Amino acid sequence: MTPDIRVTIAGTEFVNPIWTASGCCGYGEELANVFPLSKLGALVTKSITQKPRMGHRPPRTAETASGMLNAIGLANVGIDAFISDKIPWLEQQPTKIIVNVAGSSIQEYVNVSARLADSPRVDMIELNISCPNVDKGGIEFGVDPVMTEKCVSEVRRVFKRPIIAKLGPNVTDITQIAKAAEAGGADALAIMNSAFGTSVNIDTWRPRLTNNRGGLTGPAIKPMALLMVDVVYRSGVKLPIIGIGGIATWQDVVEFMLFGATAVQVGTQLFVEPDAPVKIAAGLKAYMKTKKLATVADLVGKVQRW
Amino acid sequence: MIRPSCEETVLLRHRDLKHNYYSLTFGPYSRAKECRPGSFIHVHLPHTDVYFRRAMSVAAIDPKKKEIEIIFKIFGRGTTLLSKFAKDAKLDILGPLGAPFALPTKTERVVIVAGGVGFPPLMFLATDLVQRGYDPKKIEFFYGGRSDGDIVERARIKKLGVNFHVTTDDGSLGEKGFVTRSVESFIKAHGSEKLRLYGCGPDAMLKATNDLGLKYELPGQLSLEAPMPCGIGVCLGCVVKTTRGDYVRVCVEGPVFNIGEVEL
Repeated sequence: MTPDIRVTIAGTEFVNPIWTASGCCGYGEELANVFPLSKLGALVTKSITQKPRMGHRPPRTAETASGMLNAIGLANVGIDAFISDKIPWLEQQPTKIIVNVAGSSIQEYVNVSARLADSPRVDMIELNISCPNVDKGGIEFGVDPVMTEKCVSEVRRVFKRPIIAKLGPNVTDITQIAKAAEAGGADALAIMNSAFGTSVNIDTWRPRLTNNRGGLTGPAIKPMALLMVDVVYRSGVKLPIIGIGGIATWQDVVEFMLFGATAVQVGTQLFVEPDAPVKIAAGLKAYMKTKKLATVADLVGKVQRW
Repeated sequence: MIRPSCEETVLLRHRDLKHNYYSLTFGPYSRAKECRPGSFIHVHLPHTDVYFRRAMSVAAIDPKKKEIEIIFKIFGRGTTLLSKFAKDAKLDILGPLGAPFALPTKTERVVIVAGGVGFPPLMFLATDLVQRGYDPKKIEFFYGGRSDGDIVERARIKKLGVNFHVTTDDGSLGEKGFVTRSVESFIKAHGSEKLRLYGCGPDAMLKATNDLGLKYELPGQLSLEAPMPCGIGVCLGCVVKTTRGDYVRVCVEGPVFNIGEVEL
């Protein structure tokens, strides 16, 4: 029996639970040169804002122990160019398309989402209310339950297909934010965004990012992300969780699912291994066969606590 | 459109070129013949604590044997670890990557400006041109370094039959002074007609070469280096500002840029 790794989230069926993480796969074109996108559960685009953004001055990335710091600064083409130049190509791709939306005001989230609502091939949107890298990159919404609920509910009015709220770890209690997103009408939660961090060059005494601080990603943050998924899964929030944070192997995916993730996103590992999603999906299938699991849903939340 | 792929290769030859320079040859690598002068590969360092790959410009290829050579100098942890891999080690290569050098026309005289560890893609370029039947006497290969230890693979470059000019900052080999000063003397003596510049080296040398190109209105290209998490254009970490004011990716739009195209 071939294990079934399809998953369904908010009524949408995905061929597998392995998606790309926003900011780590551009708008998909480069990855499509490496492997057929039909192998992906979904492609999550780079954050789109209303106006094009150049991003921060380099250096924008710094390698760290088992990970990286980044402060790209939400560099993106803006919603107009996204719709005219990127959507036509994305519409042809044999995978689910999830567009990540960022903004510096609730109105910006609403405006961008309304434009995306006109593109039927955009299967879902993911609200980036937790980008740590720009003064107004949404984090002020994602750290405040009231603002989170307002942001999600206002977008809900203009975008009728599923909405994912992407939450970050840089908060006192992520369950409060998760509940707010649920109350605002989100259909799923993506947990988690990058963690605040920084590093300094000891020769020049300059921070290694011109932004002076950035977001930490990669395997270094996996244990933090697992705990965030775990606490939200057990908080009474009913929404499906998409786990993110340092996923590099199929074993990592199994861990996230055991703690309650229905699907996952692979981010920084794409830089090391651009075809990682293909290998991870194959590994997950083999694991399920060994464990005699019929569907991948049989793993979700099945951690056996001490 | 080149489609990069990941491929495990074997370290066939490991040469210590002294003064912290190393040459590693990998094979069989099925994409070897698709690597052009200016192309780079992204090398994974297995079983080490270094997370990202390391971008390495291609120094030479042997299309028949499907071999690829890189030459690098130890700068940090990644290059230190890379230098320690022994013959028969298996390393994963992501490639081929980057936009290669544009070739000169037959009537142009090629002026190569190599600074220290920037010489490998330029040695590849000179080798490729000679193999294509380009007259080696129309290639001026300027190679500068801090001292004689930084001028590696001399015999190999000379053997191409190119006009070889060496400079060192301390005068321990060749002419004393910066390589770009030597290049400028040549341009003045020769005249700027039908010259094409190719440069790769430290930032200050690239900037000086770019300035020479603008001053004497010479066409040409420079190969840049930047910290490169992904190498395939998705992370936007390696960007450089163009003179138009926008950012471009060193890994995809580069690493080779036209003179005057980017801010240095």
